[in-house]
Amino acid sequence: MTSPQSQPDDLYNEAVAAHGPALSRLARGYEINAEDCRDLLQEIHLALWRSFRTFDARCSLRTWVYRVAHNAAASHILRSRRMKSKTMISLEEIEEQGGIAAKDNTGQSIEQGQLLERLFALIQCLNPLDRQVILLYLEGMDAASIGEVTGITSSYAATKIHRIKTILANRFRNGGNHDKR
Amino acid sequence: MTNDNSTHELLNLWQSQEPQATSMSAKELRDASSKLEKRVFWRNSREYLGAAIVVASFGYYLYKFESALLRAGSALTIAGALFVAMYLYRKGAAETMAAGQQSNSCMEFYRMELVRQRDLLLSVWKWYLMPFVPGLGLFLLGMLQMVLRQPAAHLHYGVVALWFGFSFAFCAGIFAGVEWLNRKAAKALQKEIDALDQLHQTPEKTLDSPAL
Repeated sequence: MTSPQSQPDDLYNEAVAAHGPALSRLARGYEINAEDCRDLLQEIHLALWRSFRTFDARCSLRTWVYRVAHNAAASHILRSRRMKSKTMISLEEIEEQGGIAAKDNTGQSIEQGQLLERLFALIQCLNPLDRQVILLYLEGMDAASIGEVTGITSSYAATKIHRIKTILANRFRNGGNHDKR
Repeated sequence: MTNDNSTHELLNLWQSQEPQATSMSAKELRDASSKLEKRVFWRNSREYLGAAIVVASFGYYLYKFESALLRAGSALTIAGALFVAMYLYRKGAAETMAAGQQSNSCMEFYRMELVRQRDLLLSVWKWYLMPFVPGLGLFLLGMLQMVLRQPAAHLHYGVVALWFGFSFAFCAGIFAGVEWLNRKAAKALQKEIDALDQLHQTPEKTLDSPAL
């Protein structure tokens, strides 16, 4: 016989087995500082573990995991934003600045570490909704899945993905080591 | 290199990052849960301690002073502090219930959080400032009355008026400053709520009619 506790625990174990590394990357997308990132990751795992007490299977496990994780992270940055008075912008605003940023990249190839650093810097300045979209996109999700997690329509998610691709191409067009090949 | 190639390689780079700890054991989760509860407990304790200090100080004035105005002011300030403590206690319970909304879609959840914070900021004057206004007002009047009853008071009316005016302006200034800052922060949150509503076309209360 299974104890009442075992089902949430089993679901949690199943979720982290499938999405644990993605949750770790998600936490980094919200908190660049190692210590803050570790705290956030712990908050996410805790929220996830607690959430399975009410898991009703109305959506897939993956959607549930990403919703809970991003919501925990959004609460976290809302709290820290009030403390640190951070300013966040949208993908549209970044796209408008695209030309200026692209100039910085011309004529030199970027190491993979630097590339990731730049990617994190880009993610860090985004408002929560756009940050959720770009992080889900980087995990390889399509517009429909992103829409399901975030609550925006899939056509709007597709528009956002298009913007993300343009921004990434502009900002990182000289890529990493692969450019040398 | 094409845009698609470049973004595809970025995706690969992103997904190949070395993960941190990818899971937590049942013990770690229970420890983290109790750490979180302790943090909430200590945060609330600080507020309750503040209320206890107010109750103790004004309890002493209530006992010490004979003036009806000072005693009424002290009693009302104590009542105000108890009201704030009770409100915080009830708000803590409501926050625990809100944790059950974590599986909503991200936009729904984020909007809910923004609305909650906006309403909290807009209601600060109601539950955190207003309860102290009658008590502190009466207490200040009581102090003024006490000073004016001193034998040599008529020689120093100017100083007394200045002191009272300064004390009143200081209290009013702090209250008004807190309220102004909160309104400013609430307006910024309202802008974000409006932007989210434009995406979803769901009508929401504006700053003029908040759900308090």
